[in-house]
Amino acid sequence: MGQNGAGKTTLIRTLNGLIRPIKGKIFLNGEEISTKTIASLSKNVGIVFQNPMHQLFSNTIEEEIKFSLKNLDLSKEEVQIRTQSILKQFNLEKYRERSPFNLSGGESKKLALASVICRNPQILIFDEPTLGQDAKEIKFLIDLLESERKAGKTIIIVTHNIEFSLEYIPRTILMANGKIIADGPTREILANKYLISKTSLILPQIFQFKNALREVGIDIPENLFKQKEIINFLNHYFEIKS
Amino acid sequence: MSLEFLNAFKFLKRETFLHNLDPRAKLLFAIIYTTNALLFTEIIPLLLLFVSLIPVILSGRLFKMWMKSIRGLSFLYILVLILNTLFLSLNFAIAMILRISIMISAFSIFFLTVDPNDLALSLISMKFPYEFAFSFSLAFRFVPTIAIEAQNIIDAQQSRGYELQKKGIINQIKNLFPLLVPLIVSSIKRAFNVAEALESRAFGSNKERTFYFIIKYNFKDWLFTIYLLLIFSIIIFIRIQFNFLPSWVSWSFPL
Repeated sequence: MGQNGAGKTTLIRTLNGLIRPIKGKIFLNGEEISTKTIASLSKNVGIVFQNPMHQLFSNTIEEEIKFSLKNLDLSKEEVQIRTQSILKQFNLEKYRERSPFNLSGGESKKLALASVICRNPQILIFDEPTLGQDAKEIKFLIDLLESERKAGKTIIIVTHNIEFSLEYIPRTILMANGKIIADGPTREILANKYLISKTSLILPQIFQFKNALREVGIDIPENLFKQKEIINFLNHYFEIKS
Repeated sequence: MSLEFLNAFKFLKRETFLHNLDPRAKLLFAIIYTTNALLFTEIIPLLLLFVSLIPVILSGRLFKMWMKSIRGLSFLYILVLILNTLFLSLNFAIAMILRISIMISAFSIFFLTVDPNDLALSLISMKFPYEFAFSFSLAFRFVPTIAIEAQNIIDAQQSRGYELQKKGIINQIKNLFPLLVPLIVSSIKRAFNVAEALESRAFGSNKERTFYFIIKYNFKDWLFTIYLLLIFSIIIFIRIQFNFLPSWVSWSFPL
């Protein structure tokens, strides 16, 4: 996380060689990447960029997925199987013959996601995945992140959505003016008023709520930060009181 | 693939003699230099023309940006060099490269030092209709934007396994689709957005438009114009009298 222009997108672009660093080295699974091509790196590192319209070009959605699979040395049957399963996973089956340009904003974002995830990269990077998504689409994204995480993938997300990261992302790296200024568990970093003010973010509503509760004298424990936990605590608290 | 040569069109505001000149004077400068370059096919006069551009570039403190745009076009130079050497001669190839450099430099100086808004104003002062002048300046304003967009598209496609270099001409042409289709689609979308934004701000509701800024042909602009015309007449004189000039003027590589 970090304010606009902090260097988040630049940083993720260096990870698959789109931008080469002038100073310093990048290691991927212990190997230096400066001698590797973008094509070989992008087998391991998949980046989903902000604007899905920047990568959709095929006549149908099916072809769009197949284009991503083309350079992976897969057999024809395997390409077919993978396309089938990814379309099913993303609920895009019913649109398979449609043009990608007829999809809604949320669905085209989904397709862009699918076109990177179908390559099965070890490291997944999302640039602003929650931007312009409705609640249902965000729910889908969360489930997707969960299942990819369980499959052992490394997931990096660039986002401004502070509530989203507090709820679902365990580790946060804060950036400002091209430098990493903090790295640690999300709930500690986002509760730190000094860091928050340095990166033009605002305190998550949950923390604001907790602060407000403390002001009226309800002593809420530090380690609660999820919506459900706080609701449970308050229910419990009022039961005891009454 | 680098789109750095598009920096040749990116205006940056600065306070120099060149930046403060009237856009029309600079347009005249670009046109005269282009015409001059087209008058010659010999190396020495083209080289002299090219050298005479350098003080202008330095006076506008544009050297770095100009170098970038020249470097970005190196692929074009290589193409010109190879084709002309193969089909005509090395001398002609070098002359053509100089000619292209002069034309690009002249127009790059123009676009680097003219504010797009002033460009519209100067077109209007030359009796172009406002709609035309506006869309012209709008087009230049969007060159860098589209360059950034093209870079984003290349990045996005490469992240899903797209390869820039491919063997064979047919494959290379096919390979352009993943870049061109998104670029065209998003450009058309942007055009609609801009049109809607313009209409929502009542573009063209009033026939008689007034302007907040006005441009004026000052003393220094006249001075520059006279200087340009002087150079132009000398060049034309040289062209006409070319055969009577000393032989070093038409020197070429002994091949």
